[in-house]
Amino acid sequence: MESTRTRLIALLEEQADDYISGQQLSDQLHISRTAVWKHMKELEKDGYEIEAVSRKGYRIVSSPDKVSLNTLQWGLKTEWVGKQLIHHRQIDSTQRMGHELAKQHYPHGTVIIADEQLEGKGRMERNWYSPQGEGIWMSFLLRPELPPVHAPQLTLLAAAAVAEVLAETCQVTPQIKWPNDVLIDHKKMAGILTEMQAEHDHIQYVVLGMGINMNQPADSLAEDIHYKATSLLIETGETWSLQFVTQALLEKFEQLYDLYMREGFPPIKSKWEAYGYRIGERVSISTMQEKWEGKLLNIEPDGALNAEGPDGEEKKLYSAEIHWGKGGYYA
Amino acid sequence: MLKVQEIRELIKLIDQSQIEEFAYETNGTKVSMKKQNGKVVTEAPVQTEAPSVPQAANESSHSGQTVKETTAQEEENNQEAPDQGSEAAPAYDKEVTSPMVGTFYQASSPENDPFVQIGDKVKTDSVVCIVEAMKLFNEIEAEVSGEVVEILVEDGELVEYGQPLFRIKSV
Repeated sequence: MESTRTRLIALLEEQADDYISGQQLSDQLHISRTAVWKHMKELEKDGYEIEAVSRKGYRIVSSPDKVSLNTLQWGLKTEWVGKQLIHHRQIDSTQRMGHELAKQHYPHGTVIIADEQLEGKGRMERNWYSPQGEGIWMSFLLRPELPPVHAPQLTLLAAAAVAEVLAETCQVTPQIKWPNDVLIDHKKMAGILTEMQAEHDHIQYVVLGMGINMNQPADSLAEDIHYKATSLLIETGETWSLQFVTQALLEKFEQLYDLYMREGFPPIKSKWEAYGYRIGERVSISTMQEKWEGKLLNIEPDGALNAEGPDGEEKKLYSAEIHWGKGGYYA
Repeated sequence: MLKVQEIRELIKLIDQSQIEEFAYETNGTKVSMKKQNGKVVTEAPVQTEAPSVPQAANESSHSGQTVKETTAQEEENNQEAPDQGSEAAPAYDKEVTSPMVGTFYQASSPENDPFVQIGDKVKTDSVVCIVEAMKLFNEIEAEVSGEVVEILVEDGELVEYGQPLFRIKSV
């Protein structure tokens, strides 16, 4: 059913502005003309505008901006990311669903997307505000052939993918706060949460979640995060097609993931460094044990943060929070 | 923490063996030994832990051989009596170790209760803690069913690859 629909969309798309007859479609898809007509009605429900002219046939006038299985998979140029795609209008959390699907043996590359998350998950069970249609809320189910010690590099990879898409597709200047918060104009625009189930030498699965603020107007961002969050709409003054940016993200993620599997972390590290935030600057750094002021030096070949420690010595950090601006953001 | 007798035993065994060099690590304790002119010399171990963690050093001399031992943590969770000689080795069947360098979290958030406490029964797929590195959160499972008899690290502590976190006794 779904594949017939996808092929139907592909056929219509090939014709561009020309019409394709119901008979032609019926022949090529091996379905009746009535079935073709039914599919057209379904596509209209998804927001496609389809023109049907007698003796000429059908053509797509405009494709919807609405996010759905059809619009997301239509024209998606990936080999394995999002081939299995789960879309929900409303869900408790795409992360939680990712864990469930992992246990049900869903394949590597499965993507879960929601228009709205009721209990969007941030780090340490903090809420991630994810209202209807205003952002991209999705999780990737991955089954990497990696030793678990390398898995944290996936968080830097995901941040680099988001930053590249924002820079290349959305004409903004993103920065990445180590290891994986994507900022624009010093404010957080995208967050990444990666969770792993692993044994000592084997990763069972990874669920990597992304929350990207897209079309929230300034007054829609929840009060408590207002001062430190932003959206693409706020930064560009334009409303963005979620479907368009989602596809760009899926494609970029696959590209970087494949590159990482082929060549290891060095090319990912270079991409990350192109967006590294406050590297070379003094910031406030805290770990679970202590808090101090120090300079962010660089990132290590394995992705760890190299910074000045409390006594000015070089310190390699795997877990730390970076704060900046006295009394300002993230104070 | 290794007992003096255990270290003596090790030295004896290595002395009698063909082994030139020997290193042993458990629960933040590292012991390394190297033979010089056919004699065992034990070197001071490398301290890998955060500086805020208390340290303890045991020294013992034994027929011209020196032994130095440093522990990364004073085993606060270990109910061992100070008289090390009379104490039997703790009874456990499995050590849950960290699969990566990172921060050890005993609960899913600061407000929540720890995943497990001493005396808790766990199943193979029970989550016992989270180890986080670079914002990747690794839920560690017990991998055996049994009872948690020891928790070897503290909430928020930096753990090394392979470092034992829990001891579990099969039931």
